[in-house]
Amino acid sequence: MKRLFDTGNAAITEAAIFAGCKLFAGYPITPATEIAENMSRRLPQVGGFYVQAEDELAALHICIGGSLGGLKAMTSTSGPGYILFADPYGWALGSEIPVVVVNAQRVGPVSGITGAPGQGEFYLSRYPTHGGNFESIVLAPNSVQEAFQLTVEAFYLAERFRMPITVLADQIVTDGWETLLIPETEAEIQAMGLKVALRQINYGPEFYPATDEIDVPPVVLGHNTGAACSDWTPTAEGFDTEEVEWQHKHAYRLIYKVRNNRSIISQYEEFALEDEPDVIFVAYGSPSRVVKSAVQAAREQGLKVGGIRLVSIWPFPDEVFHRSAKYLSVELNYDGQLVREVQRAVPKGSEVHFLGRCGELPKVLELVEAARTLINGQPLKAIKWEREAW
Amino acid sequence: MKRTEILISGFGGQGVVRLGQIFSTAAVYEGLYTTMLVSHGTETRGGYVRSQIVIAGQPIDSPVVENPDYFCAMSKSAYTKFMSLVTAGTILYDPGYVEPERNPIARHVAIPARDRVVQELGKDIFANSFFLGVLGQYFKTAIHKEHFYQALSERVAKFQAENRQAFDFGYSYQEGADA
Repeated sequence: MKRLFDTGNAAITEAAIFAGCKLFAGYPITPATEIAENMSRRLPQVGGFYVQAEDELAALHICIGGSLGGLKAMTSTSGPGYILFADPYGWALGSEIPVVVVNAQRVGPVSGITGAPGQGEFYLSRYPTHGGNFESIVLAPNSVQEAFQLTVEAFYLAERFRMPITVLADQIVTDGWETLLIPETEAEIQAMGLKVALRQINYGPEFYPATDEIDVPPVVLGHNTGAACSDWTPTAEGFDTEEVEWQHKHAYRLIYKVRNNRSIISQYEEFALEDEPDVIFVAYGSPSRVVKSAVQAAREQGLKVGGIRLVSIWPFPDEVFHRSAKYLSVELNYDGQLVREVQRAVPKGSEVHFLGRCGELPKVLELVEAARTLINGQPLKAIKWEREAW
Repeated sequence: MKRTEILISGFGGQGVVRLGQIFSTAAVYEGLYTTMLVSHGTETRGGYVRSQIVIAGQPIDSPVVENPDYFCAMSKSAYTKFMSLVTAGTILYDPGYVEPERNPIARHVAIPARDRVVQELGKDIFANSFFLGVLGQYFKTAIHKEHFYQALSERVAKFQAENRQAFDFGYSYQEGADA
């Protein structure tokens, strides 16, 4: 095991190399710049290609092109670039092109502050493109080590599901420094649960089966395909069509290949939920680490508090929210995003509350006090003007 | 090792982040778990910089330093901004920049890093390595000195000999101090 002290950006780079990524196209942006920088150094060492794109729109299009050429590809950015992916992300979803997209979220609104963490793209990562009629897969690491593991996982899912996968990190994960273990032997790789899917080639004649199957090899141009790839509705053979019947099959496939295989994607962590706690914290990404500490601290003070940490956020794991309790969503934004899905997923009669911070993580003390306040049946204190009740 | 929190803050250009990196790398080589959050102003030099470090014997949950066991105050504004976080810990301040409060609650220890390295090595840029040495002394039972030397040689590109000397000055300055 290689034992390093490094950033999430370095972890994501090494994960991509580990997973067999051979193409990176990107445009530098804080707090994801070092991914591009590291990839420009690492890819030539493994026979891969680095392309400095003119913008993020081009970056993801280049990755798609590379993937259609048979290479595993990745790009990385922050919110201001993620929004520019909207067009190529749709191509990759519609034409079922495997690609990995990393978003290191920083604080908004819009371009916000470069070096401060935020969680503003929760919903944008659900609908990263137009047209609807698709499901998204999004993984959200909360540490440097997990940034490594989930990036490897993202490459694996991209191949199996034939689609773009977003790794939704945040500035604390990507810019933060931490112990990073990189496995070197087969036993270490297995112990970490890392899986790598090799790129397969679809030789046709059916490129877009009207089913919910996964593990269908992706299109690699030049292998019996012609140019069977566009963002229009395809026939099974990949020709553009205006027929509604094919549109129905296409939409069914994009939605149900994900919905019907959720067990492969869904990952979450539960803290101290065994005794039906009064308050359940919910978080993803870096705030979930403070939540975990807060659950422990609250328990030490005799408060019945638990926590749910989402590792995969889309498709949203509704099934985790089956307990009646007072839920408190802890997020790095002021508008409340995750909280809306929590509100939708919890059983009737549950209370749902929101605690938002921006630019830095909340403190353990704050969270324990918030839990105590809720247990006492009082409203949470607003820092300034935020809406607390949901 | 139990969870230990270290806060290092000063202004841009002093090597606050580098100091944190080297300290943390040494801890990782020792087999400990370490997290470091870095925040800074937008200026390349002169703005505020802060490293929040947590080390522990097991994986770390919250990486936030809420109640530092050690606070290295390397500028006046850093001292003013973060001193109230320290309740049970120790503030290691550079008297070249910081004038401590009159009746402080937290334990204060003066670390004349800037003046010592200017006097011995001719440049104030080695002050961070002096602070590293001081921390090395406090953590000498938890982290072997060799790991600091190894991390220092890996993370410092220039003036390695001088940085190592500055580390040694700091290490012996607080001889006998213990975490």
